Amino acid sequence: MDNKYVIEVKGLTKEYNNLRAVDNLSFEVKKGEILGLLGPNGSGKSTTINCILSLLKFSSGSIKIFGEEMSPDAYDIKRNIGVIFQEVAVFEELTVYENIDYFCGLYIKDKATRKKCIDDAIKLAGLGEFKKFYPKQLSGGLLRRLNIACGIAHKPSLIFLDEPTVAVDPQSRNNILDGIKKLRDEGATICYTTHYMEEAELLCDRIIILDKGKIIAQGSADELKELASIEEKVTVEINNLKPEIIEAVKSAENVDTADYIGNTLVITYKKGQNNFGALIDFMSREGVVYNKIFSERPTLNDVFLELTGKELRD
Amino acid sequence: MFLHNFKYTFKIIFRNKMLVFWTFAFPIVLGTLFKMAFSNIESSEKLNLIDIAVVDNQSFKDNEILKEAFDTLGDEKDSERIFDIVYVSEDKAEELLESEDISGYLLMDGDEPKIVVKQNGINETIFQYVTEEIIQTGNTVNTLAEEEIAAEVAAGNFSPDYKNIYLSALERVQDNEVSLKDVSNKNLSYTMIEFYTLIAMTCLYGGIIGMCAVNNNLPNMGDKGKRTAVTPVSKGKVLISSLLAGYIIQLIGLSILFVYTIFVLKVDYGDNLALIIVLALAGSLAGLSLGIAVAALIKSNENTKTGVLIGITMFCCFLSGMMGITMKYIVDKNMPFLGKINPAAMITDGFYSLYYYDTYDRYFVNVAALLVFSLVMLLLSVRGLRRQKYDSI
Repeated sequence: MDNKYVIEVKGLTKEYNNLRAVDNLSFEVKKGEILGLLGPNGSGKSTTINCILSLLKFSSGSIKIFGEEMSPDAYDIKRNIGVIFQEVAVFEELTVYENIDYFCGLYIKDKATRKKCIDDAIKLAGLGEFKKFYPKQLSGGLLRRLNIACGIAHKPSLIFLDEPTVAVDPQSRNNILDGIKKLRDEGATICYTTHYMEEAELLCDRIIILDKGKIIAQGSADELKELASIEEKVTVEINNLKPEIIEAVKSAENVDTADYIGNTLVITYKKGQNNFGALIDFMSREGVVYNKIFSERPTLNDVFLELTGKELRD
Repeated sequence: MFLHNFKYTFKIIFRNKMLVFWTFAFPIVLGTLFKMAFSNIESSEKLNLIDIAVVDNQSFKDNEILKEAFDTLGDEKDSERIFDIVYVSEDKAEELLESEDISGYLLMDGDEPKIVVKQNGINETIFQYVTEEIIQTGNTVNTLAEEEIAAEVAAGNFSPDYKNIYLSALERVQDNEVSLKDVSNKNLSYTMIEFYTLIAMTCLYGGIIGMCAVNNNLPNMGDKGKRTAVTPVSKGKVLISSLLAGYIIQLIGLSILFVYTIFVLKVDYGDNLALIIVLALAGSLAGLSLGIAVAALIKSNENTKTGVLIGITMFCCFLSGMMGITMKYIVDKNMPFLGKINPAAMITDGFYSLYYYDTYDRYFVNVAALLVFSLVMLLLSVRGLRRQKYDSI
């Protein structure tokens, strides 16, 4: 595969009656990268994935995978794709091993090769002790891991993960994210949809932020944070702060906002460096005693808030 | 890929408790209940001679074919006769019917035959069927004779031998037509009819298996279907291997039912067991194909599809006389095309024809019709599934 891009989406539009679920979307996914599609529920992430996989008809646009036009009977393309959908898609009537074997067997004929693949998938998903369990005997987190194992056992070079960690406990979530990184390290290209900004930030090389079916921003996590007008947010826990001190803080260099609510002072800074140090010096000079002080960089949620006026999880 | 999908579809269906119940347990439970409910009345309801009356008016006397046929069917010298016939006036016939001395009577009103019965039962239905058969045969003889006479006239013979032409036409029809069997000595009773119904219902239950097997592979039915749809396996392969797995499970269910009814319930299927099994095989295929077609062609959720399939199956069973044999007669007489496209009617008609007729022509027509029905359903399903993308999933 010489093509630089594993996925090429151009002008993709999908309409349901009068609703435009995906609006003229264009993007590419490079070989070996993890692309995150980040957006709130209903932003068009899953619809985009379903269109790319040729499960959904779309109104206009073109989709190429591995440089070839994608279609329902593009079996050569499908052979190299793995998909993990949002809902757990396994058979209640089959054991853990049989479920993985069933889906893997739809890609790989040779039994010996398949057995090796299944064993690898079980190891990656940490399901070794549960091979003979039926899905109803597994916890929610283990079910999610089985769901992933079924999607990746045939060692695809392109993997779609559609919100695989929804309603998963932290331990299983970490396990799943580690597994995804491992798959990328083994050479897979990954397209990952989520509405958890922390996951996107932790996992993705590049992130596309979607809202109402449109791309509102894209780039690496750091590049996206550059889009935020604030550079830094400092939170100070402090009792009985005098109004003149608050006014002094507001008028300090680079300060965008300073709000004192309850016993918490939140200061946001526009651009500039060493704002945190300057604030501590100012507090010492004025003899202000504080309980706790910490500084944060803007999050993807702040970026989303600035661009759309709403929270990512709205 | 084919064997792989076959193996796992087989496991999935076999381990599905709901499907196992409907395929294996329900027919056995129902069969046991039938046996318990009908065994006491079986002996009294066994078919013997059917008492009927014929209104001996001028119209009947003028209808040579009908007259000849009823004379033969009621001939006291014939040990295999079906009817015990009395020839009476219309008033007397009505009186006999009221007092339930006869099952019904035939009244010729001009050229129009009327069959008058008081209730719906097996005797009444046989009377109606036999009369219909005679009338149809008479019509065929008339048509053939008229064609022959026209041919004679066209050849220049303006005084053809009408009597010989009619006799020759009658012989030709008799040579080709099926003849009605005597059923009085057979074990055809309400119990047997109910067991035929049970076999036919079991065949059609295969539809649920077919539907589940296809639904598991459809992206609009859930993420399992989406996962299968993105695999590099053609829909045709998936469909046929799923069909085969479902069919074999269906056959296992039928085998268990036959073994149970023969050895435990002591049901006597007579000399035609092999033919009954062949018909059941064709019926199962038709039921399975119907379920696959409903799953493939109706774009809706699983509950709607199940409702549609059960609705179609029940309606087909109703029209085929499974819930009252008179309905079969009404449909055959007034809307015969419905019987030709109704798999339940094909199955029941096949079973009844084994008992009513000496020849197997009608039986094999029904078997062939079931196979054609299955083929049409499968072709429609493959066409519906091929290259399918959805507006919404």
